[in-house]
Amino acid sequence: MSSLDRRQAFLAGVRACIPLAPGVLLFGMVCGAAAAGVGLTPGQSFALSWMVFAGSSQIVATQLFASGAPGWVIVLTGWIVNLRFMMYSASLAQHFRGESRGARWLAGYLLTDQAFAVTLARALDGRKGVAGFFLGIAFTLWLLWQVASLAGIFLGALVPASWSMDFVVALTFIGVLAPLLRDRAMAGAAVAGGLTSVFLVLPLKLNLMAAALIGAAVGIALEKLWPKSRPGA
Amino acid sequence: MAEIATWGVIAALGLATFATRLSFLALLGEGELPLWLRRILHYVPPAILAAIIAPQVLAGAPGLAATLDGPRTVAALAGFAVAYATRSTFASIAVGMAVLWGLTLL
Repeated sequence: MSSLDRRQAFLAGVRACIPLAPGVLLFGMVCGAAAAGVGLTPGQSFALSWMVFAGSSQIVATQLFASGAPGWVIVLTGWIVNLRFMMYSASLAQHFRGESRGARWLAGYLLTDQAFAVTLARALDGRKGVAGFFLGIAFTLWLLWQVASLAGIFLGALVPASWSMDFVVALTFIGVLAPLLRDRAMAGAAVAGGLTSVFLVLPLKLNLMAAALIGAAVGIALEKLWPKSRPGA
Repeated sequence: MAEIATWGVIAALGLATFATRLSFLALLGEGELPLWLRRILHYVPPAILAAIIAPQVLAGAPGLAATLDGPRTVAALAGFAVAYATRSTFASIAVGMAVLWGLTLL
């Protein structure tokens, strides 16, 4: 592929961020404000944003920091939330054959749900330049996320608590969750995870980890009952 | 938690996350994920998302005596309906927050 094609694919990826930008900016600000709000230093709050760079995992880590969970529980729970990236990585790898090691490592660092989902839709359309498109959208989302995080870290405390902006986190996750519930097994996993986190109180703040594992087990069990709901079927 | 320990936790989570993202991209897709692992990874996101959401519509702490917070529950259901119909996270946030503010002002 010529460098011009690659550049066009990259720019197409940048443009594909436009409809995603409002939600990303809002969620990034809330994540930054939440981290600073539970007493992490601005440097630590920003480190969550660029080292972990995954909103749901950042929120989980933030909540666990606030509740005084042991360090290993925070790392393990936050990592379980991010295990899905391995699926995306496997799916994306075929489009990065022939790309330089630097491009592949950069793609790994920048990999997010939204960059992956939009890129996958484009790849399924049979369009060329998937790697360049991915780097364009993923890098732009990264930039938006860091700017939003900094704004949240430094300006979050100015928003009055009566605005209940913390509820944006719940609504963001609801917005991500609802479209996932396409079959009974996925819905069952969600219901089991939700009920576990409400009714099962475990020591060391292990509730979220238990909810993930119990929810996954229920999903797999339901999938065996109704095989047509198997992933990809 | 001591400040240095907090840094250690953030760095460890960051490195573990980066390794997970890089895994197959670095190996260039040599081999596929085994089916059992794909199954688990498929069902972890809805479970963990619901687990994060659920305590936020409660009036108090989780536990056997947990009770729902009225305005937050209604706002969450409205956000869910919008997200299910439109697949737009932003619309879900906008409608959910509007409902929550409306109900708390009443």
